[in-house]
Amino acid sequence: MGRIIVANRRGHQLIEWDADTDTEEARESILEAERILREARDKGCAVSRKVGTKHVLDDAPFDPKVEEYQIIAPIAGG
Amino acid sequence: MPLLDPLRGLWRRLLTWDLLPTPGPEGARRDGAVERPWRYYWDHLPKRTAGADFSSRDYQEARQRAEEVARTTLGEELWHRLALDGHLDVKSRRYPGVTYRLRVGRRIEVVCANGVRPPWPYPFLCINPTYPLPELEFFAQLFLYARDREDLLVRVAAPQPWDQRLGRTF
Repeated sequence: MGRIIVANRRGHQLIEWDADTDTEEARESILEAERILREARDKGCAVSRKVGTKHVLDDAPFDPKVEEYQIIAPIAGG
Repeated sequence: MPLLDPLRGLWRRLLTWDLLPTPGPEGARRDGAVERPWRYYWDHLPKRTAGADFSSRDYQEARQRAEEVARTTLGEELWHRLALDGHLDVKSRRYPGVTYRLRVGRRIEVVCANGVRPPWPYPFLCINPTYPLPELEFFAQLFLYARDREDLLVRVAAPQPWDQRLGRTF
């Protein structure tokens, strides 16, 4: 299972997908995850990816085989 | 009134096309199961709040979830260091001898080694998320920016002469 941690005022909420199951539902969940990641990036968010036991910021396109992404809030001064 | 009809029509079209910014709490309610805060504006909220629709229980649950995700983001080693020291230090790659001291919910403190001239006129950098987040959650995110995207951090940072809590976290 892969997941996106959407950091928001709720603390965080999860979007999950299964890259190992070949069903219409599984394919749709992967497409939805990809859409959300793209939309967040287009709106100025950064994205981190879990590497080993910690997260690193990541510019690479969505990869359904990645275990965990996180959407990082844009930052502003002041 | 017939004279107002064209105006009403234009207003409906503006709303339909989403040309006007939507306030955060209202928009987030439309998102369904997962709130997507980057779609909305949040500047109108009072400091250190998440919206009038947020109950004390919502704040409590958000802070609990934030702790889980901050720990996941940082990894166990950094998480324990934060618990011990109360802050995390990130050495600047851009300014030799400069360290960013990150503290939960507060401005970044710029610490300079002996003899090193500070890059900014003031020792604190004010950086907020553009939408409300629990303090711990944003702390972990700010750590990622400081370590992996120092260029962006430097570009947006607002130098300040005094320490203070952040306004967009709670």
